[in-house]
Amino acid sequence: MPIAQYALRKLLAGIPLVIGVTLVSFALMVYFGPDRTYELLGKNPTEEQIAEVRSQLGYDRPFAERYAGFLREVVTFDFGYAATGEPVATLLARTVPVSLLLILPGFVLGHLVSLGLALLAAYWRGRVADRLIMALATVGMSVSFVIVMIGFQIVFGSSDWLGWFPVRGWSTDSVGEYLRYIAVPTLATMFVAIGYDTRFYRALVAEEMTRDHVRTARAYGIPEARIFTRNILKNCLIPVITRVMFSIPSVAVGGSLLIESYFGIPGVGRATYEAIITGDQPVLKAVVTLTAILFVLVVILNDILYRVVDPRVSLE
Amino acid sequence: MDAHWPRPPAATRRTVLVLCAALLAAAGCTDPDRPAPAPKAGLRAFRYSMDQAPTSLDPTQAANVYANTVILNVYDTLYAYQYLARPYALKPNLAAGFPDVSADGLTYRIRLKPGVHFIDDPCFPGGRGREVVAEDFVYSLKRQFDPANQPQGAWFWSGRIAGLDEWKAAGANYDQPVEGLRALDRHTLEIRLTRPYPQLVDTLTSGYSAIVPREAAEFYGPRLGVRPVGSGPFRLVSYDTSRVVLDRNPGFRQEPVDLAAEGFNPATQAHTGVAAIAGRSPPFVDRLEIDFIPEASAAWTSFTKGDEIQFTALPVEQADRVLASREPVALLPEYADRFHFAAGSEAGFVFTSFNMDFPEFGYHPDPERQRRNRALRCAIIKAYDWKANNASWYFGLARVFPGIIVPASPEFDPTLDAGSVTRDVEGARRLLADHGWTAENLPVLTVGATAGVTSRLYFEQFRAWLGEIGYPPEKIVRKTYANFGNLSRAWKRSELPLVSKGWGLDYPDAENTLQLFYGPNSSPGSNDANYRNPAYDALYEQTSVMLPSPERTARYRQMNQMVIDDCVAITGLSRTRIYLWHRDVIAVPDREIVGGFWLKFVDLVPQAGAPGG
Repeated sequence: MPIAQYALRKLLAGIPLVIGVTLVSFALMVYFGPDRTYELLGKNPTEEQIAEVRSQLGYDRPFAERYAGFLREVVTFDFGYAATGEPVATLLARTVPVSLLLILPGFVLGHLVSLGLALLAAYWRGRVADRLIMALATVGMSVSFVIVMIGFQIVFGSSDWLGWFPVRGWSTDSVGEYLRYIAVPTLATMFVAIGYDTRFYRALVAEEMTRDHVRTARAYGIPEARIFTRNILKNCLIPVITRVMFSIPSVAVGGSLLIESYFGIPGVGRATYEAIITGDQPVLKAVVTLTAILFVLVVILNDILYRVVDPRVSLE
Repeated sequence: MDAHWPRPPAATRRTVLVLCAALLAAAGCTDPDRPAPAPKAGLRAFRYSMDQAPTSLDPTQAANVYANTVILNVYDTLYAYQYLARPYALKPNLAAGFPDVSADGLTYRIRLKPGVHFIDDPCFPGGRGREVVAEDFVYSLKRQFDPANQPQGAWFWSGRIAGLDEWKAAGANYDQPVEGLRALDRHTLEIRLTRPYPQLVDTLTSGYSAIVPREAAEFYGPRLGVRPVGSGPFRLVSYDTSRVVLDRNPGFRQEPVDLAAEGFNPATQAHTGVAAIAGRSPPFVDRLEIDFIPEASAAWTSFTKGDEIQFTALPVEQADRVLASREPVALLPEYADRFHFAAGSEAGFVFTSFNMDFPEFGYHPDPERQRRNRALRCAIIKAYDWKANNASWYFGLARVFPGIIVPASPEFDPTLDAGSVTRDVEGARRLLADHGWTAENLPVLTVGATAGVTSRLYFEQFRAWLGEIGYPPEKIVRKTYANFGNLSRAWKRSELPLVSKGWGLDYPDAENTLQLFYGPNSSPGSNDANYRNPAYDALYEQTSVMLPSPERTARYRQMNQMVIDDCVAITGLSRTRIYLWHRDVIAVPDREIVGGFWLKFVDLVPQAGAPGG
């Protein structure tokens, strides 16, 4: 059971990490975050009302006491109520699946398409196909995401253009409806992500193709396809896994604020953004904790996947 | 297939499928905390839009038009504004009639309509909504004074209703009676005031006064903010950061529309088709969807698509593309063919106050310096270029006016001298020179703002205007705050010499803006200017108990002139709102006073072949 032991050991080692992340985040929230008091006061408040609201929000308590309360919430995973009155746990249960459903298609397809393009570009390195793919990747990287979203929204959604998909909104009533609503956000995500990912993957593959063992394999007359899958692609997997795995926490919890906002999608990204600008600490605390825990889990899973793809990696 | 890339085992594939299905199910459930299902075919839905989401749907948090737009459609209020009357006029809503007011103006008796029920909800025994009674109103107003609710509406009634503040001070025990707020019987309410309050009935139109059943508040606790239980025309289906969906309350009372009683003006409103609702009982649509769209470009694309949102405010950046003329406002034919529109001044204004507690600009123990400070403020006001401000930020569509009585107030004086909003660089320079102000002795002026490009541009424009009257640029300093909450804290703590704000009227009465300069409302109250003028305060106190009359209007205008003469504020500008809505929507939209009270009257033109069409 070396894997189980390793996972347990890493989980325990992750506890200080979670404590550290929560401490730093909480200090930032308390000392630099928005003061909600003045959002909750009526138009003509008195000093007494200000004191009442500060007390209700716990702002008048010492930092250590407030942080101890935060740790209690982390242990019980009960973060109380969001500013709307919705229990934070319910809010996360409602919004995280939406963000996952929104982001996953673009995330998966983006990585797959990028990898495919990177392989083609690396294979035909220096030729027209490579230059074309890299030029497209540079365009994807250079154009602002906001511009891409607005442009795609207009081109695919507006009745003045193609009008194929809804401009904004969200529905999972049926698979068809779901696909209709995620089409444009997914295309926009892919357009931008492919730029960065393709360049990254191409560099990996191109580097791998120049290795001695690849040259040796070619000298032995091993078919190119076999060299590609067995000697090149497999050796690229570790950085690919690292890149993909470490994107997961931000995808799962962070969602995509801009996409959710522009396309009117009720995911966790938008809820988090609202919490940041309004100083809704219960939501922020939950999101920070969830992200930290996910990072710990991802690190463990990442190491295990290293071991799976490369048996030389030791989990000791 | 290559041996290195084996097909995943069947169990793995099944697991992935089950996970995907669970994810879809989790994101698609339809309880009130979940996204609503798409309207069924034949369901008559109106898709409205706002540029911001309400923070909470609890009436204790009905602080802005966004919250009120939803709250007033799921809850009932005793009074409301007539749908079509402009200037605004009151009408009974849940109240059976206007209040019986005692001769001294201190006691109000209000009868509630009998037989009105809350919606069915698990908070009630057996899940059946019970009748709304006078005690519910008493309970709801008490909630505004219970610190546990972090209420924002107490300022409407604090110090006005006998015993309410004392009830709060004694611990806010809901079982304890309040001397001035009693249910005389199931349908009769008595409010006793400490002094006459002519705007009382206006305050009973707001979301703050919405009627909440005690069972719901106790059953849901903080969750009442996302689970409203009222007796309004709609009931909540779903609510999240991107939209709220309301369905028609099937048990809503039958009250056929009397167009005359709603203030219908055929000359100006007939073109909207609103006459079609006469004699029918609202609400007229089965579903009301309100999309929250902060990005103007997304709202515009969605609106013009045709099958998405049906109402939007015209984004200023689209003005050149859509408008044929600005004065009067008219749409280009291609838009006029597709959309109805309405244009008018907002019921509010934007203005900048000097904080009179800063001795560099305001009150000073030395009378001579105080006199010089007034000259300095007046010079800054003269330097301010309202015309450029309007052109830069409001596409020249806004209305600039002198003073603090806004055009939407009945007491507005259109003949008032516009000197205080007319740029006079030479006059400003002369004023500074005459009072001994030089580049060397002018005080540093700190302008607070939230971080961002727009606020930076605004600051630079302001600094350039002051530069033209000889104010050294290095003496005009920008102090940035990460967000509006922190900036607001600085204002409330009187930490900045200038306070730039927008104010929306809570009711159509100039008292609502005049109180912004009433001495006892000084920081942290609404008087951010910390203006304390005994003559002004005396007039305010006199008028605050007067019913509308020419005499009261004259005194209001006198107070307005005092603010202008004392150069307390750079004021003011009312933005012009242009609303557009699809031609298949029958409505006269309005989001100025309170907000959302008109949505229950929205109807849709019957489609050929549709039920009822």
